[in-house]
Amino acid sequence: MSVTRIEVKDLVVRYGDQVAVNGVSFTVGRGEHLTLLGPSGCGKTTTLRAIAGLEQPSGGSIRIDGETMYDATERRSVQTEQRGVSMVFQSYAIWPHMSVFDNVAYGLRVRKQSQADIKTNVERALDLVQMRHLAERGASKLSGGQQQRVALARAIAFSPTVVLFDEPLSNLDAKLRAEMRVELRELQRRLGITAVYVTHDQEEALAISDRVIVMNVGVIEQIGTPEEIYNRPRSRFVADFVGSANLIKGKPAGEGLFTTESGVSLKSVASHTPHGRETEVAVRTAYIELEPRPGDNQVSGKVRRRLFHGDFVQYVIDSAIGPLIVRRPPINLLAEGADVTVSFSPENCVLLEG
Amino acid sequence: MRVPRPRINGQALTTLAILGIVGFLVLLPMIFLVEESLNVGDPMAFPPVEFGIANYISIFEEDFKTVWNTVVIAVMATVMAIFIGFALAWILTRTNVPGREKLERLMELPYYMTPLVGALAWAVIAGPKSGFINQMWKAIGGTNDIADIYTHFGIAWVMALFEGTVAFVMISASMKSMDPALEESARVMGASKLRTMLTVTLPLVMPGVMGASLFVFAEMLGSFAAALVLGIPGRIYVITTAIWDSTLAYPPDYGRASAMGLSLFIVMFVMLTLYRRMIRRGTFTTISGKAFRPRPMDMGRMAWVLFSVCALYVALAVVFPIAALLMTSLQRFATVILSQAQWTFANYEIALSLGPVRTALFNSIMLGLGVATVGVVIMSLLVWIIYRSQLRGRGAIEYLVMFPQAVPRLVFGLALLWAWLNIPIGIYGTLWLLALAYFTVMLPLGVRTLAGVVLQIDKSLEECARVCGASWAYQMRTVTLPLLKPGILAAWLLIFMACVRELGASAFLMGPNAKVIAPSIVNAFATSGTELTAAMALIQTFTVILALIILFRVARGMTKELQ
Repeated sequence: MSVTRIEVKDLVVRYGDQVAVNGVSFTVGRGEHLTLLGPSGCGKTTTLRAIAGLEQPSGGSIRIDGETMYDATERRSVQTEQRGVSMVFQSYAIWPHMSVFDNVAYGLRVRKQSQADIKTNVERALDLVQMRHLAERGASKLSGGQQQRVALARAIAFSPTVVLFDEPLSNLDAKLRAEMRVELRELQRRLGITAVYVTHDQEEALAISDRVIVMNVGVIEQIGTPEEIYNRPRSRFVADFVGSANLIKGKPAGEGLFTTESGVSLKSVASHTPHGRETEVAVRTAYIELEPRPGDNQVSGKVRRRLFHGDFVQYVIDSAIGPLIVRRPPINLLAEGADVTVSFSPENCVLLEG
Repeated sequence: MRVPRPRINGQALTTLAILGIVGFLVLLPMIFLVEESLNVGDPMAFPPVEFGIANYISIFEEDFKTVWNTVVIAVMATVMAIFIGFALAWILTRTNVPGREKLERLMELPYYMTPLVGALAWAVIAGPKSGFINQMWKAIGGTNDIADIYTHFGIAWVMALFEGTVAFVMISASMKSMDPALEESARVMGASKLRTMLTVTLPLVMPGVMGASLFVFAEMLGSFAAALVLGIPGRIYVITTAIWDSTLAYPPDYGRASAMGLSLFIVMFVMLTLYRRMIRRGTFTTISGKAFRPRPMDMGRMAWVLFSVCALYVALAVVFPIAALLMTSLQRFATVILSQAQWTFANYEIALSLGPVRTALFNSIMLGLGVATVGVVIMSLLVWIIYRSQLRGRGAIEYLVMFPQAVPRLVFGLALLWAWLNIPIGIYGTLWLLALAYFTVMLPLGVRTLAGVVLQIDKSLEECARVCGASWAYQMRTVTLPLLKPGILAAWLLIFMACVRELGASAFLMGPNAKVIAPSIVNAFATSGTELTAAMALIQTFTVILALIILFRVARGMTKELQ
């Protein structure tokens, strides 16, 4: 990424004896959409709140546009309202005692803009989220989706360069969430906002981000583009949490080879420099074919169970390397009990770091 | 690793200052009380010179009867209150009784009536000889009295009716937060409504009922008004009235009173601690804190029977008492036989023209206005510090602020009396001391009410203001305070009402030049006729109601403005 907007270094946040974030470092480039992904309690929201200044870290540093916002060694911590970042909250935090207009105008009024500027900026922001017609409505009379939009308009109204998103879509129903994902992405691109986005929804993270950080128990598991995270998971946790994968136990057997516990040899790749103590490879359920393909890893098997999901079919295959989950398009259905040859490319057989 | 701790000294100072002031108000009187309870020398010596535990020993020797009375009455009152509370809570949250919402509102009324007014009213209704029930009984040919409220049962009955409301509130809260699917699945498995109630509802809310019982029992042990009005004529003393009595004796036996007060406090404190333990330990596993949409059971024709149960309760606790007081206050000599009645407004004229009564009423209202207004500001600040700030030691502040809840009002009044007799600042016997006392005893009520509202306000509403660039002061002004407005108003109202009706603490702290209304009503009951007392009680009640109506109007205007 071109220029660094946010720089987080060795961040540590403690709650009493508990360590919520344990030495997290990353940078966010100008105009980049970075997502912190992980299960609840992994420290992603705490990291975000520390950037906003809503959480007091106990170690490390946070810089925005080169300016120190927090630094443990300098004993410096800039107040939230001085940091110039904006944020969309999980609960939306729409003030119920104000109208939609007043909600959106809040940041502008704090910045003492003129009445005319406030009006133009609020209307521009409301237009962006298609909520201008509801400007005068009381905020307590909005539906969930509308509150979501108002929260978004309020967050961008005062033209911040950095917007933090704390699971903004998690309270919407599935259909609306999918729509808002597209809109959010559009908006972020169009306005050139630098976004740090927190979610526990891996699909959402892959769909809207430039880069994804997978977190677990307070530390970073992997940083990469959505494709890298999906195709080359580094650890068992990433392979398991993002997408769906078959994990096959065994041990490495020299350059690009892996011997499973059942004694089958597989050609594999690794995203790290192998150290020889790895115990697992991951194979994505979507990357497995049920017909022989030359050059690929091939194992014989039998269809034990077929589950029709609509958008895809999930097979449970009893194979020479153990039971495998396979997802195929819902065409050319195989019957339960059919003999098949399972094949997958060495590229998609990823050695996990352990 | 070095940890930055900005403004640690400022924070520590703030905490210390608050702890110091609240501690001075709350704990210091108790220390004086302990000192005095150990005084075995001259009871009027300040400070005492001879110490011993004779006062405590005499509780078990001389006052054993009093302890026995207290326990018997408290047990009876608790059983009745829990039974009434459970039945009403089940009817109103679990069945489709007609007029459910209106009935639920009516359930609050006995609380607003106060035990003092309730006791006076029931003295009129069921007093021996001249009580309305006995009058009617004789009018239709009966010879002996059939009702006597001046008994253990009578006192317990009035306590249960007017102080037991809390049982209803607590039990219905635990019923409301129970997932109705738990009951529905029992019905689906083929259980009848009654069986469902007995095998599912009852066991599930049992922890709630146990908690409520413990809480109510502690309240009943420290109850004063009903025992004062109904116990003294029949010479039935409970601990609170015995404390009161021993300070009126000549010479006043403050040592004995303090020892009894402290013992009562310790018993209540232990029970309330047990109660808190119980809720905290998560015995309420079914109670998720989430409110469920009520899905009441269809009771068919039985619904009207349940309705009459509720109606009967409202009649016994509100309608009959008010009617009896009204009738009494409008007659020269109270009678229920209408042909003999001599109607008059004289009692009201006397009550309002008597200098002391007028001053007392005026003082009470002024105290209510002052304490509520100043109190709400300070309490809001305390609540914000306790529940929203990161201040160290906020747990200790919360504990101190809630402490007066465990002290019976009367005992706290005694403690304050003793403290301010010893502290060389001349506010003893003035309204200032009363104001200070009211503020201290209202701390738990006010803080709890305000905390309820503060905790409901999502933290992110405040955080969002900060992220938008607002300073702390700007955020407080534009977000926090406007959202708190309804809660602040509610707290103000509750404190105002509680002040105007305050009896326990006032009883000891009232001076000849600083009279307030509730103790004056008690005095009138002891020295003048029932008719005059009834008029005074109603004047007090209607003053409170009037204040309520005015404030609800204002409140409605304010909430409209909010929307």
